[in-house]
Amino acid sequence: MKKLLASMVATVVAGTTFANDLPQQSSPWFQDAQNVLMQKMETPRLRGQAKNVILFVADGNGVSSNTAIRIFEGQAQGLLGEEHELSFEKFPHLALAKTYNSNAQTPDSAGTATAMLAGVKTRQGVVGITDNVDRGDCVTALDNQIPSALHLAERKGKATGVVSTARVTHATPAAAYAFAADRNFEDDSALSDEQKAAGCVDIASQALTADMEVILGGGRRHFIPAELTDEEGKTGRRTDGRDLTKEWQAQGGEYVWNRDGLMKLDPNADRVLGLFESSHMEYEADREGDAGGEPSLAEMTAAAINVLNKDEDGFFLLVESGRVDHAHHAGNAYRAMMDGVAFAEAVQIATQMTNLEDTLIIVTADHSHTLVMQGYAQRGNPILGLSKGLDSQGNPVTEPSLAKDGKPYTTIAYVNGPGAVQGERQDLSNVDVEDMDFVQQALIPMSSETHTAEDVAIYARGPWAWLIDGTVEQNYIFHVMDHAAGLSQ
Amino acid sequence: MKYLFVFLLFLPIYTYSSDTIKIRELYAGDMQFSELAKSLDGKRVKISGYMAPPLKAQADFFVLTKMPMAVCPFCESEADWPDDILFVRGKDTIDVIRYTEPLIVTGILELGTKVDEETGFVSRVRVVNADYERAL
Repeated sequence: MKKLLASMVATVVAGTTFANDLPQQSSPWFQDAQNVLMQKMETPRLRGQAKNVILFVADGNGVSSNTAIRIFEGQAQGLLGEEHELSFEKFPHLALAKTYNSNAQTPDSAGTATAMLAGVKTRQGVVGITDNVDRGDCVTALDNQIPSALHLAERKGKATGVVSTARVTHATPAAAYAFAADRNFEDDSALSDEQKAAGCVDIASQALTADMEVILGGGRRHFIPAELTDEEGKTGRRTDGRDLTKEWQAQGGEYVWNRDGLMKLDPNADRVLGLFESSHMEYEADREGDAGGEPSLAEMTAAAINVLNKDEDGFFLLVESGRVDHAHHAGNAYRAMMDGVAFAEAVQIATQMTNLEDTLIIVTADHSHTLVMQGYAQRGNPILGLSKGLDSQGNPVTEPSLAKDGKPYTTIAYVNGPGAVQGERQDLSNVDVEDMDFVQQALIPMSSETHTAEDVAIYARGPWAWLIDGTVEQNYIFHVMDHAAGLSQ
Repeated sequence: MKYLFVFLLFLPIYTYSSDTIKIRELYAGDMQFSELAKSLDGKRVKISGYMAPPLKAQADFFVLTKMPMAVCPFCESEADWPDDILFVRGKDTIDVIRYTEPLIVTGILELGTKVDEETGFVSRVRVVNADYERAL
């Protein structure tokens, strides 16, 4: 034993192929792991200044959710699934983020986005302000605003933008460019006359004054007045009569409202506002059926980079997949999986359109959800399917495993939410559990499945990406972006 | 309340069958009606879905949704109705079933925009003279 260990240590130090006499060395598992080892030993620690920074956030995509999406995408490609890698899982650097808000063990997206983007933790429900302000107290908030990485990038002369499949006024994108004592201050109708008179400004209005070059996502209703009907037949929410899409165009920006418009965007355009839905954009699973036609997250990301790349000083871009979270809240894993795959495709396009040496890309989630992968499913079992296990010899069986109530169960379940069983559990034997509208069974009845408090992963590549390492506070992400690109200098 | 609970316990239990259709099968993208929907217009259908929380008490109608009408307290200050909902006019006053319980609705399918005289509810597609059962 001692001799074997000594031999292994010697070969590792030498950095060459080792363990020539190990019986497992011919195994593909062994060879693959050896290759990864070599790759990691050769991964450079880039120390140059990042010209560009892209922060990708898949809202609610915790570690278990991400594992399920990995398998889902792999199985869609004909693989068993478990061995598959999502685009960002190939990134060389990884850490775990502690996501709690300054006043809550289980966080919300406003507090977590502020942490990532402004470098300090704050309260649930507030955007871009310190944690000494009560939620809703917009007057006190006026003196407690904290600039984000996007604001600092603007100050440094970089181009900036936000992309989201949620409303662009929703918590995560809002934290990049706005200051609000309540995440629900999405348009002026959410503010009282007294608050307006005191100087409080709604989030959509701040989107225009933040001087961003790119705003792409949903949320058209917060940009147009209540008396105006939009291109898809929905009315606006603003009560001040302002049409911010018109104001944007008056400032020289391009405005598009559907996929066609984005695809035909003038290649010379240097400012674009794209609002593709009255509220949130469609789930990826439903996108094809949208009346006006919506771009994918990857298409929006590519369009954003094309515009932002024109700035010689570089750019800062936030890209959010906002609806992984919404599908989880609905207890509907299928749509969460589809949006997760779309997210991975958006990261892939960004890696293809940028250089490793000058662009820091960080990929993370803001918080997790209660999705669990339970039971003892056999390798390659459909991730949304009924759990089928192994026989006593370890070989796959064809019949679903049965719980103590004699009924089958799915691998994916939620701890709480609308799928909670009340009374007798539904027999899933004849139910298409892989259907896009299937709601996974859950334990605790709640109208909406909830966030959870465990850590989320952070993946990184590019200059100073190796500082993403260990278990860190979520607000540390800002500090890596700032250090890499010198945003606050 | 006790009577309602007892009633729910003894509601007929329906299992999914091949002739049960889904709400989304009524549409062919772009919110246009599918060929299937057109072929079933005026005919008796079985559709699966969930009963949205009732808009008023003692009603004889409800809204069928493809998934439970979950509302995330952090995400939304109000619930947005999805586009693909189904107006269901029952034979009698509706006994409310929790919005998370899967249902099978049986009734006559009606296509085309119509304003319900009693409620003012505008619908593009309806099931009328309907029965509904829990799907287990």
